[in-house]
Amino acid sequence: MEVEGTVVECLRNATFKVELENGHTVLAHISGKIRKNYIKILPYDRVLVELSPYDLTRGRIRYRYRS
Amino acid sequence: MKFVHSTSSTGHHPIEVTRVADLQWHAVEDDRTVGRGNASRRPDGRLFISIDAWHGEVFDHIADAMLTDLPTPLYTVVDEADHESRSAWKRAGFTMARREWGYDVPTDPLVTGLGPVRPPAGVTIVPFGQAEEDPLRALDRRVRDEVEATVGWRTMPAEVLPRPAGITVLDPSKYAAARRSDRYVGLIRIAPLPRQPRIGLIAVRADDHRLGIARALLAHSLDALHRSGTASAWAEVDESNAAAVALFEGVGARRTAGTLELARS
Repeated sequence: MEVEGTVVECLRNATFKVELENGHTVLAHISGKIRKNYIKILPYDRVLVELSPYDLTRGRIRYRYRS
Repeated sequence: MKFVHSTSSTGHHPIEVTRVADLQWHAVEDDRTVGRGNASRRPDGRLFISIDAWHGEVFDHIADAMLTDLPTPLYTVVDEADHESRSAWKRAGFTMARREWGYDVPTDPLVTGLGPVRPPAGVTIVPFGQAEEDPLRALDRRVRDEVEATVGWRTMPAEVLPRPAGITVLDPSKYAAARRSDRYVGLIRIAPLPRQPRIGLIAVRADDHRLGIARALLAHSLDALHRSGTASAWAEVDESNAAAVALFEGVGARRTAGTLELARS
């Protein structure tokens, strides 16, 4: 499942706290493709998050919107 | 292309890894996509791969499939702080090839101390958007040849954007240059990303090193960013590039991240 959200905090261990549109907050890593392409994620970035099917409080940032 | 790799049933459900396209792999467990692998070739010809999986067993299955299907050497990048990913890539036989530091670079001259910095005598700075294309391309080619003849371009921070063969200056408006008489001797490239611009390249001809040209280019660029209301820029520097590390740390840049390039022969 993919949902849009906003990065609210960059944490240690390469994870980010992301507030989803429904108000829930998840901990998310960035995808390997984002890492591979040197796309930097910053607080307030709008992102697309894929939620873990095993744990809905975990996710992976798959896309960063440009604005 | 669709090629199904062998499956495993060590968990509750078998995991099936399928090569769904030339450079894409999917892992499916109980009708759910639980992992993806991707490969892409950098402009320098090297093949970089990435794997996203929700647990280590899936990662290992995707890695097995990709390593079976792809020629070596293979490369990947991980955040140095991401110990889980580092362990997973280590299990797949990848070892560290090099490290890049990520720097937050302040733009305020009061912080950088670059306010009074001027280019050396006989050198002028050509601002962003005003660099002439032909001398800019000539300098870029010359610097790349010099690097290849010494440390090699692979030790430079990654250039990952796809581009036409042989074209290394995609958008001249992103460059400022240092000019001595009728030729360019130094350049700086900045990607004007909205939240935090990225300093992609600073380069000076080898016979013009140690004159303060790179520092003057950086001073000009950071001042321009500061005037436009940008508080900081971002740069990646190979840890072995002592001159670049000294340049950035000398203006108060703060090391905030480490990226490891891993390789498997």
